[in-house]
Amino acid sequence: RIVPVRWSRYNPSYLEPEAKKESYQKPLEELTEEEREQMELKGVRPIKAAPPTLSSSVFSDPMISKFTNMMMKSGNKVLARSLMSQTLEAIKRKQLEKYHKAPENEKETIECNPYVIFHQALKNCQPIIGLSNITRGGKTYQVPVPLTDNRKRFLAMKWLITECREHKHRRTMMPEKLSQELLLAFNNEGPVIKRKHVLHKMAEANRAYAHFRWW
Amino acid sequence: DRGCALHTAARDGLSSVSSQDIPAQRPRAVFHTSESDPAKHTEQHEGRLYNIPLEEVKAVFPHGLPHRFQQQIQTFNEARVMVRKPALELLSYLKGSNFAHPAVRYVIYGERGTGKTMTLCHVVHYCSKQGWLVVHIPDAHLWVKNCKELLQSSYNKERLDQPLQASVWLKNFKTSNERFLQEIKTQKKYMWGKQESTEEGRPLREVVEQGLARVRSASDAVGVVLREVKQQSHRGSFRLLVAVDGVNALWGRTTLRKEDKSPVSPEELTLVHNLRKMVMNDWSGGAIVTTLSQTGSLFKPSSAYTPQELLGKEGFDALDPFVPIPVSNYSPREFESCYGYYLERRWLQHEKAHTEDGKAELQFLSGSNPRQLDRLAGPL
Repeated sequence: RIVPVRWSRYNPSYLEPEAKKESYQKPLEELTEEEREQMELKGVRPIKAAPPTLSSSVFSDPMISKFTNMMMKSGNKVLARSLMSQTLEAIKRKQLEKYHKAPENEKETIECNPYVIFHQALKNCQPIIGLSNITRGGKTYQVPVPLTDNRKRFLAMKWLITECREHKHRRTMMPEKLSQELLLAFNNEGPVIKRKHVLHKMAEANRAYAHFRWW
Repeated sequence: DRGCALHTAARDGLSSVSSQDIPAQRPRAVFHTSESDPAKHTEQHEGRLYNIPLEEVKAVFPHGLPHRFQQQIQTFNEARVMVRKPALELLSYLKGSNFAHPAVRYVIYGERGTGKTMTLCHVVHYCSKQGWLVVHIPDAHLWVKNCKELLQSSYNKERLDQPLQASVWLKNFKTSNERFLQEIKTQKKYMWGKQESTEEGRPLREVVEQGLARVRSASDAVGVVLREVKQQSHRGSFRLLVAVDGVNALWGRTTLRKEDKSPVSPEELTLVHNLRKMVMNDWSGGAIVTTLSQTGSLFKPSSAYTPQELLGKEGFDALDPFVPIPVSNYSPREFESCYGYYLERRWLQHEKAHTEDGKAELQFLSGSNPRQLDRLAGPL
């Protein structure tokens, strides 16, 4: 795990807090040499304060937390989290209603788990290649460029949120619209997937400028 | 899964088995009971969920079920209510009550989200199955706040009418008590304004139709219906159940204002005035079951749940000899039952929710509170 160090105000001797229950339940004999050293260090060194996003709950999901943080406006995490839980509930209700009405042979094809749908929808929305502005001889060109995993996940989540915020009727609630978009993205339809395809087409069209990239 | 013969046989055979010998193969079957008549519910059925057929739900509960429960009925395609101790206690009191004596008042109280409204609905279902006339007010707080139209009452100059709320209630009352409206006849002539009137001896249905047709006189129609029903209940031709949810609204304050911006007190509203008369124990031949509710209440702190705090001095004195029925959080057995039901209906979809760790976490986070458990299990 990569720990951000550059702007950290902590003394390097401080260790990260450990939230997983399983690591404390292992008996001493099962630990390897490194883990035994780690446990001894933890008894001696000071430990950093736990960030508010760190959770020991079995139901916590880092992707969902990231998405909730991106949905948050002016620090209102309570509202963002309640919207997220209402979205997941809305997805579950819609899928369960479809499930109960479907005939026996189609029941296995219907996915009811909102987390699986969320992860699959985000995966479907991630672009493979991105564009970046490079200035050569006074003119700015859109150059196709590979994207890192983090950047892909960020773009997928950003597109989903902006799509829901802008193209929503004044009276529809955010959880309803988000659940609609997530279900469409899960089936590879919908405006977010279209935006991804548009980006791919632009990158394909600007193939000629690919050699401008120097990294 | 549902069509398996062993499953249904296990369900029926095991429903009479007590919870000590839970079989290892089919633990989920123990949480249901096939007894859908509330009259036959006993301590044996405690902690189990019984099914109400959907047609009965539409007939008995046109209003009155909590919003989350209605959503649950729609998602699962069935209405399952848990049989709990307070409801069984109330049902035993109702079965053993003497209807020649004045009506006994029962007040269901408890902390937020412990199941007071669902207990009330269980009792209402029992009474309508037994053939009682049920006057069910889903939430008295809706009558003392957020009223768009307040008309000055034509019957009494100081009082104020609420046409919208009264007409909505009359419509729902009509759906739930069809046959009584034909049988009960009015005992007095009532004048609605200058031209229209209802003669003596006409069925109550006409009063209700009049209230629905002329919305201006809907509150007066409600008053007439309540008065007739109260006067005729002691004759014994029908039993009357007055079920009020959020009875502390009748004696609190309102957020409504008159046109000169002066605050309205609850006595000045016709609906509240008539309902207060119903809740008095000066009639016989039935029972009054009420619920206290902090959630919709006005100007009351959120930690208040006892009758003394929520009713205030005036309300407590008015309701004074009442039977208090406390409702508390789920016992471990009831929690297991609710958790098993959610698992069976595929409501808990998260992989970790099926494990022991997940169950322990749900129990800890919700504190065995039914509402918190429902809210937590929603996104999972």
